[in-house]
This record gives sequence, structure tokens and C-alpha cells, in this order.
Amino acid sequence: MSEGDRLHVVTADNISPARRMAGHLMIWGSLGVLALVALAQAAQTWGGSDFGFRNWRPTLYAYLLFSVCLCWAQVMLKGETGKRILFVLPAALFVVSLTVFPLLFGVLIALSDWNLSAPDGRKFNGMANIVQMWNDPFYWNALENMVWYCLAILPEYVLAFGLALMLNADIRARKFFRVAFLLPLMLSPVAVSWMIGKSMLVIQPAGPVIRLAKWLGYPNPSFFSDPLTAKITIMLMDAWTFVPFMMIMILAGLQAIPKELQEAARVDGATGWRAFWEVTFPLMLPVSITALLIRLIFKLKLADVIINVTSGGPGGATDSVTSFIFREYRDRSNVGYGTLLAMVYLVIIVLVMTVLMKFADKALRPRT
Amino acid sequence: MKVGLYNYAVRAGLTRRGVLKGAASVGALSAMGGAANIAFTAPALAQDDLRAQILAIPGVGNGSPTDADYQKVGELCLGPTKANVAEGEFAGVELTFMGLNNQNLHNILFRGFLAPWEKYTGAKINWIDLAQADYNPRLQQAIATNTVDFDIVEMGAPFEGDTAGRGLLDEMPDWVKTQIQADDLVGYLQPPVGTWDGKSYRITIDGDCHTFSYRKDYFGEGSISGMKDAPTTWAQIAEYSKAVKGQKDPLTGNEAYGFLDPLKYQWGGFGFYFLGDRAAAYAKHPDDPAWLFDPDTMKPRVNNPAWVQAIQDVMDMVAAGVYPADQLNTDPNGTGFTQFLGGVGSSVCWWGDVGSNARTSDSSVVGDVVGFSINPGADKVYNSKTGAWEEKQNFAPNMAYLGWGIYVTSRVSGDEKKRKAAWSAAAHLGGKDISLWMAAYPSGFQPYRNSHFNYDEWAAAGYDKDFVADYLGSNADSYNHPNAAIEPRIPGIFQYYSVAEDELVKGINGQYGSAQETADAIAAAWEKITDQIGRENQVKLYKASLGL
Repeated sequence: MSEGDRLHVVTADNISPARRMAGHLMIWGSLGVLALVALAQAAQTWGGSDFGFRNWRPTLYAYLLFSVCLCWAQVMLKGETGKRILFVLPAALFVVSLTVFPLLFGVLIALSDWNLSAPDGRKFNGMANIVQMWNDPFYWNALENMVWYCLAILPEYVLAFGLALMLNADIRARKFFRVAFLLPLMLSPVAVSWMIGKSMLVIQPAGPVIRLAKWLGYPNPSFFSDPLTAKITIMLMDAWTFVPFMMIMILAGLQAIPKELQEAARVDGATGWRAFWEVTFPLMLPVSITALLIRLIFKLKLADVIINVTSGGPGGATDSVTSFIFREYRDRSNVGYGTLLAMVYLVIIVLVMTVLMKFADKALRPRT
Repeated sequence: MKVGLYNYAVRAGLTRRGVLKGAASVGALSAMGGAANIAFTAPALAQDDLRAQILAIPGVGNGSPTDADYQKVGELCLGPTKANVAEGEFAGVELTFMGLNNQNLHNILFRGFLAPWEKYTGAKINWIDLAQADYNPRLQQAIATNTVDFDIVEMGAPFEGDTAGRGLLDEMPDWVKTQIQADDLVGYLQPPVGTWDGKSYRITIDGDCHTFSYRKDYFGEGSISGMKDAPTTWAQIAEYSKAVKGQKDPLTGNEAYGFLDPLKYQWGGFGFYFLGDRAAAYAKHPDDPAWLFDPDTMKPRVNNPAWVQAIQDVMDMVAAGVYPADQLNTDPNGTGFTQFLGGVGSSVCWWGDVGSNARTSDSSVVGDVVGFSINPGADKVYNSKTGAWEEKQNFAPNMAYLGWGIYVTSRVSGDEKKRKAAWSAAAHLGGKDISLWMAAYPSGFQPYRNSHFNYDEWAAAGYDKDFVADYLGSNADSYNHPNAAIEPRIPGIFQYYSVAEDELVKGINGQYGSAQETADAIAAAWEKITDQIGRENQVKLYKASLGL
């Protein structure tokens, strides 16, 4: 124990060799029990032996026993320091249980041929799902669509910035507009799908937008029959829901800019556009990048509007990766392949977000 | 009965006189009460009395039935149970029942019906209620992960492959068959439906089929279609759809359209039935029960000339521009309920709901001009055995989905008392008399017994006989058609349908070069699913489901 630690130690830890031995025994003994039970269960599941297990709960209970013993043994082995470890260790074990195990199990499923209707259940099939994914034009099509959907964030950002500037200015009924512009964000995307997508844009002859389009002279308006129009319509519906989110973040950023800076720029003779471009925009960069990154995360999960309105159609033109996985997993019960697609997508998201955050970090670092 | 149909009968078909007439006859029968039991010694008459008595609860036109009504009906229909089970025989038995709670029906009714059964037998039932959207995943996961935690399950016949095929169901005892009078079921619900490897598992409580709903004002002398009678074949459908293009709808004054296909077929597998409506006429040969797969190899027939013809028909209609503007993104729900009922288009193939809603839904404008018949036929039929077309008219109504049934799981197989209790509860719900009540009042179930089509019984209860005869007649004709196209009850059937929907939509949107290429893509996807699930087993189960 270091000199500094001693200051906080209330009682001196005189840990006897017997207690130390008991601590080690607890850890290794419970780990041995866990390993034995897990091995027996694995042997029963895959090796054909019969130990009378009906489910995997015995392994779970063995894991719980190991966790308790591990925590307890910390105190037995390390005394006061062990008690400090106890503040963190249960939480760490909990996180491991809820993230690492499922993730490992997910990887195992992703490398399996598992159709819920197959009487033989899950079968490990190595890289077959990856090969299938590589040759699946519709997954790549969905990924390509995602690129377009993500690029749509840029005009959304411009629009959101414009609206935020407007709501930051001294306009009439500013509070009303702030609330009104926020309303779409309060709606669930499923509600938007039905209210806007179905009721207003699809349903004939009642759809009001269709009626309006007809009144304006379009003989047979349709928003989801042509691939490009369908994609743009989906983008617009998604933008309608989430532009307010970016807008409110940018608005908060704008309100945090000290007025003196703008006034100083004006004194120095900066015009409206120059003041924005040279002062406001750079100052808003950290907020903007945060808003863009969070919006990107939302966008990468885009599925509900597509599932409800077009089911990915016409012919996959509006499919997002998530909506494609949803069909593969839910409608086809193709658990193995669906999980693999989700895992690959997770890796892509992690890579893209890491790269983007690195760039963002670089962009935000003050230049000296 | 579907809720919509009931509402129709109450609102449109029910005349004041009809109510009084029905009520008077039922009242008279009820008033006789005990006297009737003495006077009418013949069992048939006693049963008629019971049927009239339950049809008077709460009485057609007296508002929606309540739990008290369900319990009253359940109590009155306990006779067959009492004949097989002694009072208190199942004391201490606890059963778990998994079913749906759609529209506050299904399990909600079963609870009421089974309350007097529980009281009489001493058993207790625990309930697992599921919304429709949660039902399939819950059942599928329970099957796949071997965690079946229910003793009785309300289930569709297409899942029989997944359950009975894996030994998860308990075989129906003979006394149950007798109690529910299974021979009264309509033709297509008779075995092999409900059986697996020659063993019976299902107590049918529902029926399903697609029928052809059309607008009468599009046909007749001087009509815009130029056709005297409603079309009866797909060729006539194409012909009249082209003929009315560019004309005005006689009812709404808007553009006139012919037949409506839901061109955004993707509907979790249920959309594939709509291509099946067309394909059955070409592909379901009267001498061959199979029409989707070759029963010996599971080789898909979906890319044979018959199915390709059906896909080509749809593509030709798309190319001819005879569909409404946004049809490519219109799903079955929109096609049936929004378009057809809203006066867009003049014919559609659908389940019973569209027919009943035609006259009851506030958004329907076609109530007075709607007519019904069995699905259209074709002028030729493909014989898969000879690999050649036969030039003869062929009708093959599509029994889309096979209705709901009650099944008992093998969890109870080891405990004879529990097993008998589970089957007794299931048999109570599938009894002949209680089924009439379910057919006549909102329950979520369509008529499915021959005895349900005694229109006089309906009229006596206060229903409009003309409507019942017209609408239900088309169902009865489909159910009992000798060449009805019945779907295979094999594992993963909805996976096949779902992937077919995706490929079909791609084909119709021009991503494949032709109907044949589209059909080949579906066939390839089906082959992949068959290999994934296990071909040998699928062949075995497919044959079993066809009764081969």
C-alpha cells in the first residue's frame, strides 16, 4: 500500500495467509463451478450428452455465484482496498453481462444458419452469411440508399440553420413559431408515416395533397411510384420530423453567442452576410457538428417511416439498411443472416462515426 | 362474425319488423323454457330451441354483446361438456391459454365462454393475450427456442407445419371429434386440414377465403364496360379493365377503373394471396392438390407457365395503364378498404371484410351497388404432371389462410387429467351451437360449418336474408368448391410468401426483364428457403399437409 493511501485507511489490514487462501479458493472454486456447468451445458447442447438440464439457467446461476464470490474475495484478499473495488466491480460485471455476453452471442448467431422454422434449429455456418451478404445486391442497394439519405442531412442542416436564425431574430410571434416548428419532432415517426405518408400522400381519392396536386393540374399525381420521387418523398418526411431537432440545437447555440461579438463585428463594418460567415458560423461550428453527428445517428436508424409507407419499394428504391434487416429478420424469420447484416451495419456505423468524430475533433481544435 | 358484417346487419339490413319477428319467435321459444323440454322430446328440436335461444343473446340490434352475454352463451352451451365431464372433475387443474385480443375479441370472448366451464369443471385457466402483430413472432420464438409455455393455443392452420410437424401438439382424442361434430365443417376445412400424418390436432373455429367483390353498376345493358354480366374469368377482367379506361365512374363521376391489384404486395406475406387469386385459376388443376410446389421434390411451381401467366397478366395491366395513379405503392389494405370502398376501381378480390364493410363503413360509397361471387377463373389450366396447358375453363377459389383453430400442446400429454381438461376447454369453444353464436355476433370469426349457412336461422334471428344469402353464399360456394386452392401447411410458409412479395414488386417495377425472370427469382428464393429449413423434411411435411 502506498504512503498516500495510508492516510485514508481507517483500519490496518492484517490479512492472514489462511484468509488469502480462502479468497483465492472462492474465486477459483466458483470459476471452476462456472466452467464445469457451462461445459456440461455445452456438451449437452452440442455434444449429445444428457445432464438433465432443461435450459441455460444453471450457467446463469453459476455466473451469478462466480460474480458474488469474485466481489467477496476482493475484500478477503485486499481488505480495505477490496472494499473500494466493490464500488465498481458489480457495475462492471453487470455491464459485461448485459453487453459483452449478448454481443458474443450475437456474433455466434451472425455466423449461423438459423431460420426459426428450421426443425434443426441453429447451425454454425462459418462465413456463409458473409458471402451471401457480399453477393446480395439488395443489401448493397440499401447501403447505397443510406448514403443518399445521409447526404440529405446537409440541406436539412442549411434549412435548420436558416430557421434557427429566423427564430433568433426579433420577429413577431416568435414564441408561437418556436413551438409550432417543434411540433413535428414531438410526433412519433410512425404517426408521421400514417398522418403524412398514408393519409395525405397515398390514399386516393381522399388524400389532400393528391387533391391539391390534381387541382394544380397534375392529372395523376403519385409520390411513391417512381423510385426517385419516392426516395425524395421519404427524405422530405424524415426531414419534416427531424429538422426541428437540429433547429432547436442551433437556436440554443445562437442564443449562447455573446451579443458583444456581433456588435463588435458591426462596429468593424461587417455586413449581415459577412458577420454571419466570419463570426456567427465559426462560433456555431461546435454546436453544428454536434447537431450533425446526432442527426446522423438518427438517420442511420431510419426505418419506421419506410416500413410503414413503402416497405422499401418501389423495388427497393427507398429501402434503408434497417428496414431491409427488419424484413429479413421479422418476415422471413432469418435470424442468422439478419443478425449478420445488423452486425456489419454496426461495424460500419462505428467506423464512420469514429472517423467523423476524429475529423470533428480536428476541425474544432483552436487554430493557433 | 366479423364486426363489420354485424354492424351492417344491425344498421342496414335489420328492419323494425324483422326485429320484432325475430324477437317474437325467440321470445316464444324462450318463454316455453322448461315446458319446451317436456314438449319437444326430439333432440333436434331441443337443439333448434337452444340455437334460437343463444341467438337472442343479446339480440341482433341490441348493442354489442358484453362479457355477461358471453358467459350466458357459454353456460347454455355446456351440454356437450356435461355429457363428457363430471362436475368438479378437473378441480386443481391449471391451464394456460395463448391467443389474440384483436378488436377486444378472440380471447376476450373465450374468457366469458369458458367462465361457466371453469365453474362446472373446477379447472382454472390463465391467459396470455397477444396483439396480432406480436402473435407470429411470439409463437415462432416459442417454437424455435423450445419454450412453449402454453397448454392451449389459438393458432392459424398455416402454423400446423411448424407445430404438429415438430411434435409440439397433442393428438385430438376421439371423444372430442364427436363432441364438436367435426363432420359439419365445410368442405375445405375437412381433413387433411387440421391433421398431420393422419392424426387430428385442430378444433376449427373460423374459416377464410377470398371472394370476388364487384360493382354491379359497371355491368349490364349500356354500362361503361360494355359487358352484360360481371366478369367470371381473368381474361374478361383484363378486357373490361381496359374498356373502362378513360371513362367516368357511374357512381362518383371520377375516373373509372377496372380490377384492383394491390401492386405493393409487401404485407408480411399476406399480400401474396392476391397473386394467388389469379394464379390459382391457371395453376390449380382439378386432378392435382398441389399448386405451389412439386410434392415430391419441393421444386417451386411458382415459375411454371401458369404462375408466369398470372404475373404477366398483372404486368400487362400495368403496361396498359389501367390502374389508378399510385397503385404501385398501394398495399392490400389501401386497395380493399380505401380504393374499392371509396369508389375507386370496380372490382377486387378480398376476404369477407370488404364485403361487409361495403355497406357498413362510413367511408364506403359502394354499399348499394356491390355484388359478390367466387374468384374469377381462367380459360385454360396448366397441368404440371403433363407439362402442358389444357384448354378448358377452370375455377379454383383461393382459400387464403385457413382460419383460426384451437390446438392443445404436447405439454399436457403426460398428464391425462390435464390433457382431458385442455381438450374439454377447447371442445367447448369449438362446439356446434356456440359456433353459430360466434358466426352471428362480433367475434372475429367467419362461418365455417355447413350448419352456419342455414339462412332461415339467421333470418329468424333478425338478419336481412337477402344480404346474408348473397354475401355468405359466395363464401359457401368457395368453401365447398371441389377445386378449391388450399395452401400448404408447411413450416415457414409465410417466409416463402414474404420473399415472393419482394421479388414480385421488383418485377412489376421493372427490375427484372420479364414475368418469367420475376417468377424465376421467386423460385430461386424459395429454393433457398427450402434448403435452409431442410428439403427432406419439407417434402415430408408438404405431402402430409396435402394428405398424400
